[in-house]
Amino acid sequence: MDHTIIRTENLVKTYRRYKKKEGLRGSVSSLWKRDYEEKTAVNQVNLSVEKGEFIGLIGPNGAGKTTLIKMLTGIIAPTEGKIDVLGYYPNALKNAFKKQFAVVMGQKSQLFFELTVNDTLRLFKEIYEISEEDFQKNKNYFVELFGVRELMDVQVRTLSLGERMKMELIVALLHNPKILFLDEPTIGLDAVASKQIRNFLKEINREKGTTILLTSHYMEDIKALCKRTVVMTHGAKIYDGRTEELFEKYQKNKKITVSFDEPVKCIALKTFDAALMENSPYKKVYEVSRQSAKDLLTELMEFGTKDIAIEEEEIGVIVERIYQEGSDCHE
Amino acid sequence: MKKNIKKNLCVLRELLYLRIHGLMVFRFDFFAPFFVDGSLFLIQLLAFRVVYSNVDTIGDWGRGEMILYIGTFSLLNAISMTIYFFGVNSIPYKVRSGELDLYLSKPVSPLFRLTFENISPGSVPLIMMSICIIVYGIHMGNIKITLAGVIGYLFWIMIMAVLYYEMEVMIRSVSLYVVSMARLEQMEEACLNLCMKLPGIAFYGIYKIIFYLILPYGIMATLPVQRMTGEMNWQTAVYGTGIVFLFSVITAVLWKQGLKHYNSASS
Repeated sequence: MDHTIIRTENLVKTYRRYKKKEGLRGSVSSLWKRDYEEKTAVNQVNLSVEKGEFIGLIGPNGAGKTTLIKMLTGIIAPTEGKIDVLGYYPNALKNAFKKQFAVVMGQKSQLFFELTVNDTLRLFKEIYEISEEDFQKNKNYFVELFGVRELMDVQVRTLSLGERMKMELIVALLHNPKILFLDEPTIGLDAVASKQIRNFLKEINREKGTTILLTSHYMEDIKALCKRTVVMTHGAKIYDGRTEELFEKYQKNKKITVSFDEPVKCIALKTFDAALMENSPYKKVYEVSRQSAKDLLTELMEFGTKDIAIEEEEIGVIVERIYQEGSDCHE
Repeated sequence: MKKNIKKNLCVLRELLYLRIHGLMVFRFDFFAPFFVDGSLFLIQLLAFRVVYSNVDTIGDWGRGEMILYIGTFSLLNAISMTIYFFGVNSIPYKVRSGELDLYLSKPVSPLFRLTFENISPGSVPLIMMSICIIVYGIHMGNIKITLAGVIGYLFWIMIMAVLYYEMEVMIRSVSLYVVSMARLEQMEEACLNLCMKLPGIAFYGIYKIIFYLILPYGIMATLPVQRMTGEMNWQTAVYGTGIVFLFSVITAVLWKQGLKHYNSASS
């Protein structure tokens, strides 16, 4: 039995953008003759998603992640290619289709800022035609899950960013959508709030079987939640596979930042593959392979360190590595 | 169909409830429109009084008909301000900012939600004041009132309110195709100001084509007044209905095609 609920074939989205020559002369000549260039935001993307999957969509800024989500939700129409979500062509904007998914955009709110969340939920109850019984049941379930009972009658504008994101998720999940599209849901959140949101999403995916498509800049989100990851850059899909494998294969290094109480001039390291990226008497930054990170930390501890920060490589580096490997293979 | 109407009525009730609650959060914002709109209305009346104190007739219309005309146009304007103006007026901003995304992804007509999202209870007194001017105009012009005349007048007010709405939506739908459309809104304002002062019967030649066909602000208050005074013939009635129908089609096409053009804003 076919469980595919999202399918795209050679999906393309191009935008036409106006180019103006520099200065007044350019502005005047553009009144009569305009130069346009085509910008391909999504380029020949083939994607299929099965019911119940939790997929991560990552890539640097301008990779086409949000454009892809907007096409899957029908907000914008594709330029070329085939697209099928839950058996519908999304941009036909049929209400029967829109009732089956929800979209949460980290930078756009669907809450009424002057009112309470309970007020907003009432409107969404009518929009999604939810019966009073289901409404109460779902509301109570999510309110308990997110632990926000005391915040339901508070003016939205007084909530913190983390609390507001929980409310956005409750509003989005109220009608039990089959697919949940999340565009940067943890953007701007602190570590604690991000972790809470991740735990809720995991729970919803497991308990309700909701298919979730998540775009994020944060590796932690993807690692913690998604079994499968799609990597995009310049509108094209460059990786589609297991998240574990992606990080195992392409996230090779860690960045270790050490600060000291007393000035330390030079450290002779035994860890052979650690590269010194930044050097000052009170602070040193190293890049080291994941395998050797433990050895390097042990060594550094001997120098009376004040603080140590370990960071994963950024998305951009991983994308570059995948890209590089792709071109090496072609060569 | 019946289910859809029921759903839309429920959504409308919630939108109205949210709007009133939202306005009540800030007391000044809640009470201010009652005074501001009322004051602007009185200033406008004063301007009409100055203009028409030196003019006895326009075409076949005397002062009574003119006052009835001004009252009728004010009524249409007040209906717009109360019900849909503030919602429809926000369309270009929502398109530019990408906020329209959130309307498109919900299972209710985006235009329906935008239209009724910003109902303005503060403009209700304008409706009352307009009715007072209408009654005064009827009295001053010794216009004979019949039940058929009143029903006909109300019918024309209703469909002209639809035409008024369509013009507003049509102009703002342009924002789905082009980035900046502020000049069109200025043009709309200029046409409304002119047609609020001059009835359609005052226009001839090219002006009649402009204000009866291309930008039909000229017929909006003229036709209901003609119905009330018994001047309306069947050709005018057919023409008026045809224009409303034509603009309904154009508005629907422009809006729907506009949504296909919508590229959202980059986030």
